[in-house]
Amino acid sequence: MESGKVAEIATCAGEILLSNGAEAYRTEETIKKICNSYGLDGDCISTSTGIFISVITPDGEMVTSVKRIRQRRVDLYRIERINSFSRDLKDNPLSYEEAKKVLAEIYNAPNFSIGIRLMAACMTAFVYTLFFKGALADASVAVIISCGIYLMLEKTAKVGSFPFLEYYISGFIIGALSLFAQYLIPEINKDNVITGAIIVLLPGVALTNGIKDILYGDFVSGSAKFSEAILIIVAMGAGIATALSIVMKWM
Amino acid sequence: MIIQIILAFFGSIFPAILFNIDRKKILWAGLCGAIGWTVYLLVFYETGSAISASFVGAIAVGVYSESLARIIKTPAFGFLIPGIFPLVPGFTAYTTLRYIVENNLSEALNKGIETIAVGGSIAFGIMLSTAIFKFISKIKTKQLT
Repeated sequence: MESGKVAEIATCAGEILLSNGAEAYRTEETIKKICNSYGLDGDCISTSTGIFISVITPDGEMVTSVKRIRQRRVDLYRIERINSFSRDLKDNPLSYEEAKKVLAEIYNAPNFSIGIRLMAACMTAFVYTLFFKGALADASVAVIISCGIYLMLEKTAKVGSFPFLEYYISGFIIGALSLFAQYLIPEINKDNVITGAIIVLLPGVALTNGIKDILYGDFVSGSAKFSEAILIIVAMGAGIATALSIVMKWM
Repeated sequence: MIIQIILAFFGSIFPAILFNIDRKKILWAGLCGAIGWTVYLLVFYETGSAISASFVGAIAVGVYSESLARIIKTPAFGFLIPGIFPLVPGFTAYTTLRYIVENNLSEALNKGIETIAVGGSIAFGIMLSTAIFKFISKIKTKQLT
């Protein structure tokens, strides 16, 4: 196949991987695997915000492709599909059209519906409030709060990504609503509600993948993910602290 | 204790759904969290230290997910990420924040160091188990060729 088309397939696969939260080494390995299965030599550098690919044909011609990744989220299912796609490609190299069709299918693969995700977010808050030794009443308040927060984040994600503002406001809302609930019903403990509700927002994937990236020697990507996670935690903490200190001034 | 383990099981399942995990692997992810938390509790009763308990718990989660990933041929972090959710020091982190707001800085420093230590020990536990598995697979491929 032409090296340009191989580069296009590889870029497309890499883009799906990176924008769904895969580690840098996985992206690089997959792209190399795809190039090799078409009998070409490929090299790739992946940071957390973009991929650079260069495909080399046997007669020395070079095709380079750069892709900038702007939006990132976490989707384990798509990463897995791309993983098996590149593994299968080794045994039977698909034609350009077929490969494009498979990639488009993976790109449009089904998500859990918004209802199920909302339920999962609520149940996460519920379980973790109980887990941190909260009472059932605390857990129910945490469910309501995290339901609202998750809906808000889903809606703002459609407008665009404002990572730190988003998390600051979420933290502020969680803190304010928990204090309000405690004010209305004195049996409720705000500490338990807050700890349960913030679990949904924790950047667990960015942290673990940052560690793995550093471990595999991708220091650029690893420290970028690490600092992203720490900034999210700080933004969230600042939001909660703002809510707490405003209320403490009042009381 | 049993209730805590069951909660940890569900506490790994629901975040996994948020990350759009493959439907067949949801139960495996839940089991990962339950195993990690069981190990944490056992070590915690033995030593009374949340830091070493988190460390050993994270190693257990790492070993479980890396070996399962090799058995059913899927990326390891599909289990790793939900598995560490119960170990995350959410409550200590929040307590630190509350002490800062209350202007009780010496207590905040106390709790803050504990949070960082627990977080770091989780990270190091995962690093250790992943690195060992990577090392083993490197040795295997070297021997084959």
